[in-house]
Amino acid sequence: MKILGILALFALVGTAGYGQALDLKGLEKLAAKARDVTDVELDGSLLRLAAKFLSADDPDQAKVKKLVAELKGVYVKTYEFEHEGEYSESDLASIRTQLHSPAWSRIVGIQSKKERDNTEIYLRTGGTEPGGLAIVCTNPKELVVVNIVGKIDLEELSELHDLGVPKIDIEKKPAKPADKKDND
Amino acid sequence: MSNLEDDLRIALRREEPAADFTERVLARLNQPFAEPTWRERLAVLMRPPRLQWAALAVIVSITIPAATVRYRNEVQYRAEGERAKAQLLFAVRVAGSKLHRAQRKVLETGRTGTRL
Repeated sequence: MKILGILALFALVGTAGYGQALDLKGLEKLAAKARDVTDVELDGSLLRLAAKFLSADDPDQAKVKKLVAELKGVYVKTYEFEHEGEYSESDLASIRTQLHSPAWSRIVGIQSKKERDNTEIYLRTGGTEPGGLAIVCTNPKELVVVNIVGKIDLEELSELHDLGVPKIDIEKKPAKPADKKDND
Repeated sequence: MSNLEDDLRIALRREEPAADFTERVLARLNQPFAEPTWRERLAVLMRPPRLQWAALAVIVSITIPAATVRYRNEVQYRAEGERAKAQLLFAVRVAGSKLHRAQRKVLETGRTGTRL
Protein backbone atom coordinates (compact mmCIF):
# COMPACT_ATOMS: atom_id res chain seq x y z
CA MET A 1 0.00 0.00 0.00
CA LYS A 2 2.97 2.21 0.69
CA ILE A 3 4.05 1.76 -2.90
CA LEU A 4 0.60 2.72 -4.10
CA GLY A 5 0.80 5.84 -1.99
CA ILE A 6 4.13 6.72 -3.59
CA LEU A 7 2.60 5.94 -6.98
CA ALA A 8 -0.25 8.28 -6.18
CA LEU A 9 2.13 11.00 -5.05
CA PHE A 10 4.08 10.75 -8.26
CA ALA A 11 0.85 10.66 -10.21
CA LEU A 12 0.02 14.05 -8.80
CA VAL A 13 3.53 15.38 -9.25
CA GLY A 14 3.91 13.87 -12.69
CA THR A 15 0.86 15.41 -14.26
CA ALA A 16 2.59 18.60 -15.22
CA GLY A 17 4.41 19.23 -18.47
CA TYR A 18 5.71 16.86 -21.08
CA GLY A 19 8.65 14.52 -21.30
CA GLN A 20 11.03 13.21 -23.87
CA ALA A 21 10.95 9.73 -25.31
CA LEU A 22 13.52 7.19 -24.24
CA ASP A 23 15.97 6.18 -26.92
CA LEU A 24 15.08 2.51 -27.47
CA LYS A 25 17.22 1.99 -30.56
CA GLY A 26 19.69 -0.08 -28.52
CA LEU A 27 17.11 -2.87 -28.38
CA GLU A 28 16.59 -3.17 -32.11
CA LYS A 29 19.48 -5.57 -32.57
CA LEU A 30 17.53 -8.11 -30.50
CA ALA A 31 14.91 -8.40 -33.22
CA ALA A 32 17.15 -10.79 -35.17
CA LYS A 33 17.31 -13.23 -32.24
CA ALA A 34 13.72 -12.95 -31.03
CA ARG A 35 10.94 -15.33 -31.96
CA ASP A 36 8.28 -12.64 -31.75
CA VAL A 37 8.82 -8.92 -31.89
CA THR A 38 6.27 -6.21 -31.32
CA ASP A 39 7.22 -2.65 -32.01
CA VAL A 40 4.78 0.19 -31.42
CA GLU A 41 5.95 3.70 -32.13
CA LEU A 42 3.26 6.34 -31.87
CA ASP A 43 4.51 9.88 -31.86
CA GLY A 44 2.33 12.89 -31.16
CA SER A 45 0.84 13.13 -34.64
CA LEU A 46 0.05 9.41 -34.82
CA LEU A 47 -1.51 9.56 -31.35
CA ARG A 48 -3.76 12.39 -32.46
CA LEU A 49 -4.66 10.39 -35.56
CA ALA A 50 -5.39 7.29 -33.47
CA ALA A 51 -7.50 9.36 -31.09
CA LYS A 52 -9.70 10.47 -33.99
CA PHE A 53 -10.53 6.83 -34.71
CA LEU A 54 -11.34 5.92 -31.12
CA SER A 55 -15.04 5.50 -30.64
CA ALA A 56 -16.75 7.85 -28.23
CA ASP A 57 -19.50 5.25 -27.81
CA ASP A 58 -17.13 2.63 -26.41
CA PRO A 59 -16.48 3.57 -22.75
CA ASP A 60 -12.91 2.23 -22.74
CA GLN A 61 -11.99 3.85 -26.02
CA ALA A 62 -13.48 7.11 -24.80
CA LYS A 63 -11.27 6.89 -21.70
CA VAL A 64 -8.20 6.12 -23.84
CA LYS A 65 -9.07 9.14 -25.97
CA LYS A 66 -9.13 11.32 -22.89
CA LEU A 67 -5.89 9.79 -21.62
CA VAL A 68 -3.92 10.32 -24.84
CA ALA A 69 -5.02 13.91 -25.27
CA GLU A 70 -2.03 15.10 -23.25
CA LEU A 71 0.45 12.47 -24.45
CA LYS A 72 3.35 13.12 -26.79
CA GLY A 73 4.23 9.55 -27.60
CA VAL A 74 3.68 5.89 -26.79
CA TYR A 75 6.43 3.40 -27.49
CA VAL A 76 6.31 -0.32 -26.80
CA LYS A 77 8.90 -2.92 -27.63
CA THR A 78 8.39 -6.56 -26.78
CA TYR A 79 10.77 -9.39 -27.59
CA GLU A 80 9.94 -13.02 -26.97
CA PHE A 81 12.76 -15.50 -27.30
CA GLU A 82 12.79 -19.20 -28.01
CA HIS A 83 15.49 -19.97 -25.49
CA GLU A 84 16.85 -18.43 -22.35
CA GLY A 85 19.97 -16.33 -22.50
CA GLU A 86 19.34 -14.88 -25.93
CA TYR A 87 19.61 -11.40 -24.51
CA SER A 88 21.66 -10.07 -21.68
CA GLU A 89 21.51 -7.28 -19.18
CA SER A 90 24.02 -5.36 -21.30
CA ASP A 91 21.36 -5.05 -24.00
CA LEU A 92 19.36 -2.97 -21.55
CA ALA A 93 22.31 -0.87 -20.45
CA SER A 94 21.52 2.14 -22.62
CA ILE A 95 17.95 2.23 -21.36
CA ARG A 96 18.97 1.86 -17.74
CA THR A 97 21.48 4.67 -18.18
CA GLN A 98 18.69 6.96 -19.36
CA LEU A 99 16.38 5.85 -16.57
CA HIS A 100 19.04 6.42 -13.93
CA SER A 101 19.22 10.10 -14.81
CA PRO A 102 17.78 12.52 -12.22
CA ALA A 103 14.79 13.16 -14.47
CA TRP A 104 13.48 9.66 -13.78
CA SER A 105 12.42 8.12 -10.50
CA ARG A 106 11.94 4.42 -9.99
CA ILE A 107 8.70 3.99 -8.13
CA VAL A 108 8.37 0.21 -8.29
CA GLY A 109 11.04 -2.43 -8.58
CA ILE A 110 10.09 -6.08 -8.21
CA GLN A 111 12.40 -9.02 -8.54
CA SER A 112 10.76 -12.42 -8.43
CA LYS A 113 13.21 -15.23 -7.96
CA LYS A 114 10.43 -17.78 -8.17
CA GLU A 115 9.12 -16.58 -11.52
CA ARG A 116 12.53 -15.23 -12.48
CA ASP A 117 11.20 -11.96 -13.71
CA ASN A 118 11.80 -8.32 -12.93
CA THR A 119 9.38 -5.45 -13.20
CA GLU A 120 10.43 -1.86 -12.83
CA ILE A 121 8.24 1.21 -13.16
CA TYR A 122 9.70 4.67 -13.54
CA LEU A 123 8.09 8.08 -13.60
CA ARG A 124 9.66 11.08 -15.21
CA THR A 125 9.40 13.71 -12.54
CA GLY A 126 12.38 15.95 -13.06
CA GLY A 127 14.31 17.65 -15.81
CA THR A 128 13.19 20.53 -17.88
CA GLU A 129 10.27 18.60 -19.30
CA PRO A 130 8.75 16.38 -16.63
CA GLY A 131 6.07 13.82 -17.39
CA GLY A 132 6.15 10.26 -18.58
CA LEU A 133 6.10 6.64 -17.57
CA ALA A 134 8.48 3.80 -18.33
CA ILE A 135 7.96 0.13 -17.63
CA VAL A 136 10.74 -2.40 -18.01
CA CYS A 137 9.83 -6.06 -17.60
CA THR A 138 12.31 -8.83 -18.09
CA ASN A 139 12.27 -12.56 -17.70
CA PRO A 140 14.62 -15.14 -19.22
CA LYS A 141 12.56 -15.45 -22.39
CA GLU A 142 10.90 -12.09 -22.63
CA LEU A 143 11.76 -8.43 -22.61
CA VAL A 144 9.16 -5.66 -22.56
CA VAL A 145 9.79 -1.95 -22.52
CA VAL A 146 6.95 0.57 -22.45
CA ASN A 147 7.52 4.29 -22.62
CA ILE A 148 4.63 6.71 -22.37
CA VAL A 149 5.70 10.29 -23.00
CA GLY A 150 3.77 13.30 -21.78
CA LYS A 151 1.41 14.21 -19.04
CA ILE A 152 -0.03 10.94 -17.79
CA ASP A 153 -2.72 10.74 -15.20
CA LEU A 154 -2.49 7.37 -13.47
CA GLU A 155 -6.00 7.81 -12.15
CA GLU A 156 -7.29 7.99 -15.72
CA LEU A 157 -5.03 5.09 -16.67
CA SER A 158 -6.39 2.97 -13.85
CA GLU A 159 -9.92 3.50 -15.14
CA LEU A 160 -9.12 1.29 -18.14
CA HIS A 161 -10.00 -1.96 -16.36
CA ASP A 162 -11.25 -3.74 -19.46
CA LEU A 163 -7.97 -3.04 -21.23
CA GLY A 164 -6.06 -4.81 -18.48
CA VAL A 165 -5.06 -1.78 -16.45
CA PRO A 166 -5.43 -2.45 -12.73
CA LYS A 167 -7.43 -0.26 -10.45
CA ILE A 168 -4.94 1.85 -8.55
CA ASP A 169 -5.92 3.37 -5.26
CA ILE A 170 -4.74 6.91 -5.63
CA GLU A 171 -4.59 8.97 -2.52
CA LYS A 172 -5.22 12.55 -3.47
CA LYS A 173 -3.63 15.32 -1.50
CA PRO A 174 -6.17 17.50 0.26
CA ALA A 175 -6.73 20.77 -1.52
CA LYS A 176 -4.83 23.68 -0.10
CA PRO A 177 -7.02 26.18 1.71
CA ALA A 178 -7.40 29.43 -0.16
CA ASP A 179 -4.86 32.06 0.82
CA LYS A 180 -6.34 34.65 3.05
CA LYS A 181 -5.92 38.06 1.59
CA ASP A 182 -7.48 39.90 4.44
CA ASN A 183 -5.33 39.89 7.49
CA ASP A 184 -7.65 41.85 9.67
CA MET B 1 -16.08 64.94 -103.79
CA SER B 2 -14.38 61.64 -103.46
CA ASN B 3 -15.87 58.30 -104.33
CA LEU B 4 -15.67 57.28 -100.71
CA GLU B 5 -18.00 60.04 -99.63
CA ASP B 6 -20.43 59.11 -102.36
CA ASP B 7 -20.34 55.50 -101.30
CA LEU B 8 -20.96 56.46 -97.69
CA ARG B 9 -23.80 58.74 -98.59
CA ILE B 10 -25.44 55.97 -100.61
CA ALA B 11 -24.86 53.44 -97.88
CA LEU B 12 -26.25 55.65 -95.11
CA ARG B 13 -29.13 57.17 -96.98
CA ARG B 14 -32.52 56.93 -95.33
CA GLU B 15 -34.66 54.13 -96.62
CA GLU B 16 -38.26 53.75 -95.71
CA PRO B 17 -39.33 50.30 -94.47
CA ALA B 18 -41.75 48.25 -96.45
CA ALA B 19 -45.38 49.08 -95.94
CA ASP B 20 -46.12 45.84 -94.06
CA PHE B 21 -43.01 45.97 -91.83
CA THR B 22 -44.87 47.10 -88.70
CA GLU B 23 -47.58 44.45 -89.15
CA ARG B 24 -44.99 41.72 -89.61
CA VAL B 25 -43.08 42.74 -86.48
CA LEU B 26 -46.27 42.90 -84.41
CA ALA B 27 -47.40 39.57 -85.80
CA ARG B 28 -44.14 37.94 -84.73
CA LEU B 29 -44.43 39.47 -81.29
CA ASN B 30 -47.93 38.17 -80.82
CA GLN B 31 -46.97 34.59 -81.69
CA PRO B 32 -47.02 32.32 -78.61
CA PHE B 33 -43.54 31.42 -77.33
CA ALA B 34 -42.97 27.69 -77.80
CA GLU B 35 -40.85 25.95 -75.11
CA PRO B 36 -38.09 23.98 -76.79
CA THR B 37 -38.57 20.27 -76.45
CA TRP B 38 -35.96 18.10 -74.76
CA ARG B 39 -34.94 16.87 -78.19
CA GLU B 40 -34.32 20.41 -79.31
CA ARG B 41 -32.35 21.13 -76.17
CA LEU B 42 -30.34 17.94 -76.59
CA ALA B 43 -29.75 18.79 -80.21
CA VAL B 44 -28.45 22.19 -79.15
CA LEU B 45 -26.09 20.55 -76.71
CA MET B 46 -24.97 17.91 -79.18
CA ARG B 47 -24.32 20.33 -81.99
CA PRO B 48 -20.58 20.04 -82.59
CA PRO B 49 -18.33 21.78 -81.92
CA ARG B 50 -19.65 23.23 -78.72
CA LEU B 51 -18.11 25.15 -75.88
CA GLN B 52 -20.15 23.03 -73.51
CA TRP B 53 -18.34 19.91 -74.64
CA ALA B 54 -14.99 21.56 -74.18
CA ALA B 55 -16.00 22.76 -70.73
CA LEU B 56 -17.33 19.32 -69.85
CA ALA B 57 -14.11 17.70 -70.98
CA VAL B 58 -12.09 20.11 -68.85
CA ILE B 59 -14.31 19.53 -65.82
CA VAL B 60 -14.17 15.74 -66.20
CA SER B 61 -10.43 15.72 -66.77
CA ILE B 62 -9.93 17.71 -63.55
CA THR B 63 -12.60 16.27 -61.28
CA ILE B 64 -12.11 12.55 -61.93
CA PRO B 65 -8.35 12.51 -61.19
CA ALA B 66 -8.90 14.86 -58.25
CA ALA B 67 -11.68 12.66 -56.88
CA THR B 68 -9.53 9.55 -57.39
CA VAL B 69 -6.59 11.11 -55.53
CA ARG B 70 -8.89 12.30 -52.77
CA TYR B 71 -10.46 8.85 -52.45
CA ARG B 72 -7.06 7.17 -52.29
CA ASN B 73 -5.88 9.66 -49.67
CA GLU B 74 -9.03 9.07 -47.66
CA VAL B 75 -8.56 5.28 -47.82
CA GLN B 76 -4.91 5.64 -46.81
CA TYR B 77 -5.81 8.07 -43.99
CA ARG B 78 -8.42 5.67 -42.63
CA ALA B 79 -6.02 2.72 -42.86
CA GLU B 80 -3.30 4.65 -41.02
CA GLY B 81 -5.80 5.80 -38.42
CA GLU B 82 -7.14 2.32 -37.79
CA ARG B 83 -3.58 0.95 -37.59
CA ALA B 84 -2.58 3.69 -35.13
CA LYS B 85 -5.71 3.01 -33.07
CA ALA B 86 -4.96 -0.73 -32.94
CA GLN B 87 -1.36 0.00 -31.93
CA LEU B 88 -2.48 2.42 -29.25
CA LEU B 89 -4.97 -0.04 -27.76
CA PHE B 90 -2.33 -2.75 -27.88
CA ALA B 91 0.17 -0.46 -26.12
CA VAL B 92 -2.36 0.37 -23.42
CA ARG B 93 -3.07 -3.33 -22.93
CA VAL B 94 0.63 -4.16 -22.65
CA ALA B 95 1.19 -1.30 -20.21
CA GLY B 96 -1.92 -2.35 -18.31
CA SER B 97 -0.88 -5.97 -18.05
CA LYS B 98 2.58 -4.99 -16.78
CA LEU B 99 1.12 -2.56 -14.26
CA HIS B 100 -1.29 -5.27 -13.22
CA ARG B 101 1.54 -7.70 -12.71
CA ALA B 102 3.48 -5.12 -10.69
CA GLN B 103 0.45 -4.34 -8.58
CA ARG B 104 -0.16 -8.04 -7.95
CA LYS B 105 3.43 -8.48 -6.84
CA VAL B 106 3.24 -5.43 -4.59
CA LEU B 107 0.05 -6.73 -3.00
CA GLU B 108 1.55 -10.21 -2.56
CA THR B 109 4.60 -8.65 -0.93
CA GLY B 110 2.35 -6.60 1.32
CA ARG B 111 0.43 -9.69 2.41
CA THR B 112 3.57 -11.61 3.27
CA GLY B 113 4.91 -8.60 5.13
CA THR B 114 8.06 -8.38 3.07
CA ARG B 115 9.36 -4.92 2.42
CA LEU B 116 10.43 -4.02 -1.10
